[in-house]
Amino acid sequence: MITLRGLTKRFGGTTAVDDLTVDIAPGRVTGFLGPNGAGKSTTMRMILGLDRPTAGRALVGGRPYRELRHPLYEVGALLDAKAIHPARSGRAHLLAMARSNGVPARRVDEVLATVGLDDRAAAKPGRTLSLGMGQRLGIAGALLGDPPVLMFDEPVNGLDPDGVRWVRQLMRSLAGQGRTIFVSSHLMSEMQLTADRLVVIGRGRLLADAPITEVIAGSAVAVRVRSPQPAGLAALADRLTAAGATVEPAGPDELTVTGATADRIGDLAHELGVRLHELSPHGASLERAFMDLTADSVEYAGVPTGGETR
Amino acid sequence: MTTTLTTARPATRSGGFGGTVAAEWTKLWSVRSTWWTLLAAALVTAATAGQLAIYAANANTNDDPADDAGIVTVGSVLASSVELAQYAVLALGLLAITSEFTSGTIRTTLQCTPSRGRVLLAKAVVTAAVTFPAGLLLGGVGVLVARPVLGEWGSAPAAGTARDVLAFATYLALVAVLALGLGAALRSAVLTLVVLVATLMIVPLSLQEPDIAVLNRIADGFPGVAGNHFLAGDTDPYPAAVGLLLLAGWAVAALALGRAALRRRDA
Repeated sequence: MITLRGLTKRFGGTTAVDDLTVDIAPGRVTGFLGPNGAGKSTTMRMILGLDRPTAGRALVGGRPYRELRHPLYEVGALLDAKAIHPARSGRAHLLAMARSNGVPARRVDEVLATVGLDDRAAAKPGRTLSLGMGQRLGIAGALLGDPPVLMFDEPVNGLDPDGVRWVRQLMRSLAGQGRTIFVSSHLMSEMQLTADRLVVIGRGRLLADAPITEVIAGSAVAVRVRSPQPAGLAALADRLTAAGATVEPAGPDELTVTGATADRIGDLAHELGVRLHELSPHGASLERAFMDLTADSVEYAGVPTGGETR
Repeated sequence: MTTTLTTARPATRSGGFGGTVAAEWTKLWSVRSTWWTLLAAALVTAATAGQLAIYAANANTNDDPADDAGIVTVGSVLASSVELAQYAVLALGLLAITSEFTSGTIRTTLQCTPSRGRVLLAKAVVTAAVTFPAGLLLGGVGVLVARPVLGEWGSAPAAGTARDVLAFATYLALVAVLALGLGAALRSAVLTLVVLVATLMIVPLSLQEPDIAVLNRIADGFPGVAGNHFLAGDTDPYPAAVGLLLLAGWAVAALALGRAALRRRDA
């Protein structure tokens, strides 16, 4: 369980994290989504006691991280896969971590096996590790103390497709064991496959905290409806409006419906005996929902290049 | 590739300060630079002690050493060679913390041990535990090189030499801890080294240059000068023990400064 209460971080004049209040519950994968620069990593660093909040609190299992005696048994975290001494081997890196918390040394071999790093890879100095190997090493470090809470910052970065699938399975299985899994990503498609719940932030502010299905459903998904029967289409439009959906005519034989799912529209059309030639949702994805949520909060918006002078 | 996980929680939980020290020990000896630094320290000590011994021997022009007051103890040569040898040794204390900031492992370290004071104290313990015995060895090297070079112009009374080697090792350990504390506060290896060279050498030398009593007294308070009074076994301007205390005080103050910086600043 991770508890954020009014968590705020300001760097000089910029507010990186703005009054974040969220509970991250055990037993599921909570995705932490936001554009680059939204404050995801800063939030995670505050949870780990690395950055001091300007205001508010971040608690793990009800306690601030800095008060934990053996933190590796409470929280495992992968923050930065490249954070290993260039001359130190992966195994020595893990061994030092283990010793600091009194984790038995044999556990190092166990977690290395779990993440699929063999003896040769574990003996390589940090500077020679690929990003993917660094990610695996970081995940191994997070698993050392077998903690009930795990945090991963962009864990699939640099992994090959096999590795991506493996991370996905790992998170699902960790959540299945009743652990709290908090994983950040700027890849919406990745979250759609892994997360049960989403915490979406933009410019440090909470935009959504809901089950993933709700986030998708809540976005302005438009469904295009075409029928060769104008009268039937009009009747369908009336029923949909009565059901609370917004209906706009998009042509003589076409409607654009928002606020109702394609399933629901199809059922209604069937009830009314209206023949449909098209029933297609547009942008019904987390991608779309994410764009809608973060439209106003993208830190570095792309600049159209059309009118540029050279 | 496997996704199976051991569900049995690891049982051992000694951890504590001993665990933090063990982790720092593991980190120090798992990088080759530690060995290179110690080797460099040995070479610098040997070269400096040899050089100073040659100067001492050459400065004596009397053919008969017996009626010459120019005979020096091998320990005094060792004490002077610390001037250069210390930079290789303090690099050890310095790198123990600045390399963590450079590589980003400081975040892993603080994740494992959130108490900043405990991390720094463990690093100080490990730094001292390595640099003191290393200092004894280096002192031995310096004596072995300087003694034959001094020849008839040198003496090596057993008790006095042992005391000088011990003082040499103590000085180096304290300076290494001073470098560690300063490194924790300044984070950059280069910046820390610049501040150390200034504090140990440049500033006190500049103060002593005009030979004004007040400025000399101020210079006497600097860690390098205090350390030299301790090494030389001086009685003036203060007893050697006071020199030792002053140097130790500087090391403790640097640690306190480093701890405050680690606690206040984001990692």
